[in-house]
Amino acid sequence: MRKLTAMFSLVLALGGAAAAQAQEATGSTTDTKSLSVTGNVPAMCAGGTITSGAGTFPLGVLIDTTTGLLRTDLAAPDKVLAGSFCSTRSTITIGATALAAQNFTSTAPSGFSRSVDYTATAQGWTVTPAAYTTGAAANAAATQTRASAFSGDITVHIGDFATTGGAALRPVADNSYLGTVTITLATAN
Amino acid sequence: MNAKFILAVSGAALLAPAQSFAATTTPPATSVQADVTVVGRVASLCVLGTPSSPQIDVGQMAATSGTRVGKIATLPAQSVVLDGSFCNFGGTMLTVDATALTNLDDGGVAPPANFARAVNYTATASNWAGINAAATTAALGDGSSATKTGLGGTQGTPKLSAINLEVSNFTVPTDSLMVSGRYQGAVRITLGPAGVE
Repeated sequence: MRKLTAMFSLVLALGGAAAAQAQEATGSTTDTKSLSVTGNVPAMCAGGTITSGAGTFPLGVLIDTTTGLLRTDLAAPDKVLAGSFCSTRSTITIGATALAAQNFTSTAPSGFSRSVDYTATAQGWTVTPAAYTTGAAANAAATQTRASAFSGDITVHIGDFATTGGAALRPVADNSYLGTVTITLATAN
Repeated sequence: MNAKFILAVSGAALLAPAQSFAATTTPPATSVQADVTVVGRVASLCVLGTPSSPQIDVGQMAATSGTRVGKIATLPAQSVVLDGSFCNFGGTMLTVDATALTNLDDGGVAPPANFARAVNYTATASNWAGINAAATTAALGDGSSATKTGLGGTQGTPKLSAINLEVSNFTVPTDSLMVSGRYQGAVRITLGPAGVE
């Protein structure tokens, strides 16, 4: 019984050695290594350039020289921002300030106004154009969201001019009425 | 009882050789000689050294200003060394499988017009045979067809060396704008017998 036990033990020992040998044998005729290559691109927006003339809406004379009231046919060519893009989901926001007399800076006398309101829109980026009306109590449409990266032209339009304070008021004489339209593209979460 | 029976049989087996020696007339030799062949073998083995870096990170890839804003910037080549690589037999070669970097964060959807979600590059494994193993990926803007394979020349003798893997020449399909996000590709380098992929 002791011999049998010894032989059995030997077999077990040999088996263990064989297993150990198999574990150590890690090489083969072919070896492969894999490495990941990683990088990143930040979310970004670029405003592009104004392609349609200078960055000014030239409105000319604002009043009907017969009545002194604001002209009803005021218009200016649209501006196009070309090459704008955002590399991710984005928002476009439009803001504007009323046309204001730059030299006549005091309060306008009764019957007169020193500023002109208008509506500015930016279209081409979102299905619903971003729109902002100066003098409005709220401008809910001023910011619009685009769900994906986008590259395209943005057309900026101004219109719907109205004398601040009412159509019956007359703009005061001034060689310079100035307002500003601001378009902002921003990445969105 | 069983133990006693086994001992009796073993004793008889030991007596038999002693009777045989007594019957022979040949004197015992003073020495005997025999040849014993010692054999062994060495398996064919190729081992790639541990890469000096487990990952190649090219960092931020897009230009953020200038005329190329939003497009791929000029990215420097990146190198990884697999020191201590060897094959103990001749007739071996390197193979490189390169997969373009593609965007991980956009859900795999096709990019908008003028955008791409892939970055191609050239992976070159050198310092093994006369001809390097090189593969240039040619993914499309949507990230499809992202993998290419390059085979190196044949190394005729066993060799031990530091294999250099370089990743360079980063480009975007049609030089499009790049969709933002994390990008990932892969390089697989294989060392083994020539003619076996």
